[in-house]
Order: sequence, then structure tokens, then C-alpha cells
Amino acid sequence: MKKFMPVEELARDERFNQITQADRMSDARSAVPANAESTRRSSNRLTPARADASDAARALMHGIFVGEIQALEGAGRTCWDFTTGEEAPFGLKLDMARQAWDEARHVEISLKLGDWMGSDVGQYAENTVLFQAACSNDPVLRLAGVNRALEGLAIDVFTSMKEFGEMAGDPYLEFCEDWMLADEVTHVKMGSDWLRKVTENDPERRKKALEFQSIVDKMFSYGGSRSDSDESSLGIARRFRELAGFTSDENEHIADLGLQALEERKAQIREKQAAAKN
Amino acid sequence: MANPQKPRAPFAPWDRRELPGSFSVEETARRVGHYKWAEMKLFEALGGWIATVPELDIKMRLGTHCYKHAWHAELWHKRLPELREMNPERLTLPANDAMVRFIDAMTEPEAPELTIEKLVGVYRVFIPHFISAYTYHLNNTSEITDMPTIRSIKFILQDEFDDWREGEMLIQSLLETPEEVDRAAAHQAKLEKIMLEAGGIAGPGSIGINTPAPQGAMS
Repeated sequence: MKKFMPVEELARDERFNQITQADRMSDARSAVPANAESTRRSSNRLTPARADASDAARALMHGIFVGEIQALEGAGRTCWDFTTGEEAPFGLKLDMARQAWDEARHVEISLKLGDWMGSDVGQYAENTVLFQAACSNDPVLRLAGVNRALEGLAIDVFTSMKEFGEMAGDPYLEFCEDWMLADEVTHVKMGSDWLRKVTENDPERRKKALEFQSIVDKMFSYGGSRSDSDESSLGIARRFRELAGFTSDENEHIADLGLQALEERKAQIREKQAAAKN
Repeated sequence: MANPQKPRAPFAPWDRRELPGSFSVEETARRVGHYKWAEMKLFEALGGWIATVPELDIKMRLGTHCYKHAWHAELWHKRLPELREMNPERLTLPANDAMVRFIDAMTEPEAPELTIEKLVGVYRVFIPHFISAYTYHLNNTSEITDMPTIRSIKFILQDEFDDWREGEMLIQSLLETPEEVDRAAAHQAKLEKIMLEAGGIAGPGSIGINTPAPQGAMS
């Protein structure tokens, strides 16, 4: 078995339909309509009051499910891709094995929840951006990408889903999301701790890793999907992020990235509108 | 209540543990180092294979089993300094070159169509050999002086039995044609021959046979 697996080789059964971020962006259905600004909702947060709440929740749950598969694969590959001692400390690999078990449980939970919410495996496309963005060939960048950016996103997603379960009066959903949230906080903390430890005497490497994390965070905030604004579908779960080892400055940075991405998206919409009028 | 001043036998009548054991401290450390190396190789392989198997149920099981073997490696890593090996890496070694070749052959299957071979290597060859080596160790070490090793082996064996059964059931569920049965058997035989050369997880003497010399102080 080779080291470092390209995203195209992720093995799936025939129910899955994988797409890359590029596929998604070039899909005509993803295009911003000319009248987008006038038809925008005042809030994009997932709430039971939204007319499309059931479909949106099902789609988000499927996204969580495939994200958990990729996180499982990413953690497993870290156990394999790096030589113990020379490239990655023994303790780091033990933590990644633990994370693989946790992610396997999350896949199980997501499958049961998907069933509970009335969706099927493969009903929505699987965007492989998580594995693609997060699985660097440098273990430190992988910690930054997988454990801090990706798992940090998971904290935000699970917090939103938990709140949705609470508002919708679905204790089953709320219960499961809360348990997964606890695991994700642990995973981010593992990433934060190892990143600090491994780069203790290498500030340049730490800087590079944090820059990489910032790039991945921006990618995960694409189009302003995550920010403090109600126009974003996901918020920033500051309290849980702090528990996981993110500093206040880091949380503010992620929030700024999200707002910046949201403003860029809105500017694009205005440009389109202007072009359509002319 | 019985008189608390009355002398009691230090070993209760139901406590039949014996002092003699087959392994010295050095021999125990050597074996534990080989166990740790082998458990590490197993958890790394299971982790790597997760992304290569298309079967969703198997993908999840590999993730679960990956951690169990990492935990076993950690238990052995912690045991080594207690056996006077202050540098655990020094004894974290394959038993011999054949064991390295075994791992290379076991981890060779990569393509998504080769799930049978991946599972056969682990659940029909490697894990049964772990169970044998651990059982031999459990039944031959001193039940008093080496109780920490015994305790770890008991925890580990429970995992190994559970995973062995689960893996075997997954293999049976994948074998749908006589040709697939042949594939499984051929791969098992290929790996078993290398393991025979290796002499088991801890090398010759892993299960007490082909042991070159007495290994302990109080056999």
C-alpha cells in the first residue's frame, strides 16, 4: 500500500456520487441568479421556521455523514502515511488511531440519524473538499488542516445542528449532536496540543502550519457560509472552540474570514445584478 | 463478624496463583517489544486501508479496530520501562527479517477490489498468531511477579477475540463464489508460510515450541 493517497482514489460503493469543489462551483445550479439580492432570506441559519427546513437539515446531515467518512479516512491515513518517530511521534499516531475510532462512531451515528430524518446514503453528492484540503503530506500541516480547520468546522456544524434539534423539539438529534460535539472538541484539542509540541523549536514550521490552516478555514467559509452574520448558514461556536484550544484571536480571525467571504459573495451578486440590468 | 485479630492465611484457599514463571525480566521485555512492534504495524495498516475499502460497514470496522491495536501498542510501550527498558524504542523491533517480510506482504493489497485479501491477512493470519502468542505468554508467565503483563494480556485478548470473530464474519460475508474462497485460501497460505518462517509474533518460541533455550529463572 502506497503512502499518500490522492483524493480521486477514495474508495466508495456505487451509491456515492463524488464531486470536487471545482465540480460544485462549475455546476450551473450553483450560479448566483441575477435577482439573488432581492430574493435573499434575511437569515440563512437553519431553523425549523424555514420553509425548506426538513430538506436543508437532511442535506446538512448527509454532508456531515460524508464529512465523517473523510475524517475517518484522514485520521487512518495519518497512522499509515508517516513513519513513527522519524516523521510523526508515536503519541500523535496513537491519538490519530483514537480519532479514527471516534470518526467511525460518527459515521455510524450519522447513518442512524440520516435514517431517522428520512434520507438515504448517496441521496446528495459527496464533496471531497475535506479530504482534498486537509490531507497534506506534512504531518504538521495535516494537524492544522484536519484537526484544527476541519474539526473546528465540525464544532460549528454540530453546534448548529444541535441547536436545530433543540428548536425543532427533536431530542434524538440533539442528544447525538451533543455527543459528537464532545468528540470534536477533543480532536481539535489533540491538534492544538500536537501542533504546539511538534513545532516547539521550529517557529517557521508553526507559522507555515497556521497559514495553511487559515487557507483551509477560508475554503470552508466559502461564500460566507460560516460567520457571525445571520446571512451565513453556520455561526462560530466560540465557547466550544475555546474549550478545544482556539484562542480568542484565532476565533476572531475565523469570524473575520467568514465575514470577508460573505461580503465578497455579496459584491459578486451586486456585480451580476448590475450586469443583468445593463 | 469474625474476630479481626485472628490470623488469616495470606493466600485465600481459592487463590491458586503460583510463583514460578517461564520468563525472566529480560525475556519478558524482549517479547513485549516484539508485541509492541507488531501491534503498531497492525494499527498503521488498518488505518491506511480505511480509505481503500469501498464497503462502508468494513470501513467503519477498520477504524474501530485500528484504535484497539494502537491501544495495545500503548500498553506495551508503557510496560517496557517497568521491565527495566528505559528506552522503549530499543526493544520495539520485529522478531526477525521474516516478520518484516510478513508485514510487507500483508500490507501489499491496496486496490478497492482486494478487500478479501486485506481482511484475510489480518483476521485469518495475523490476529490468530497474536492470540496464540498472548495465550502462551499468559499461561506461562509468573502469576505473581508478572501480574501487570497478565492484566494487559487479558484486556488485549478480549479485544483480539472480538475482532477475530468480527473479521471472520466480514470475510464470510464477502465470499460469494468458489473462486473467492480460493483467493482467500491462497492469500492465507502465502502469508502463513512467511509467518512460519518468522516463528510467530515474537519469533521462534512464540508459543513455546522450537524454543532455543530455557527462557526463565523459575521454570
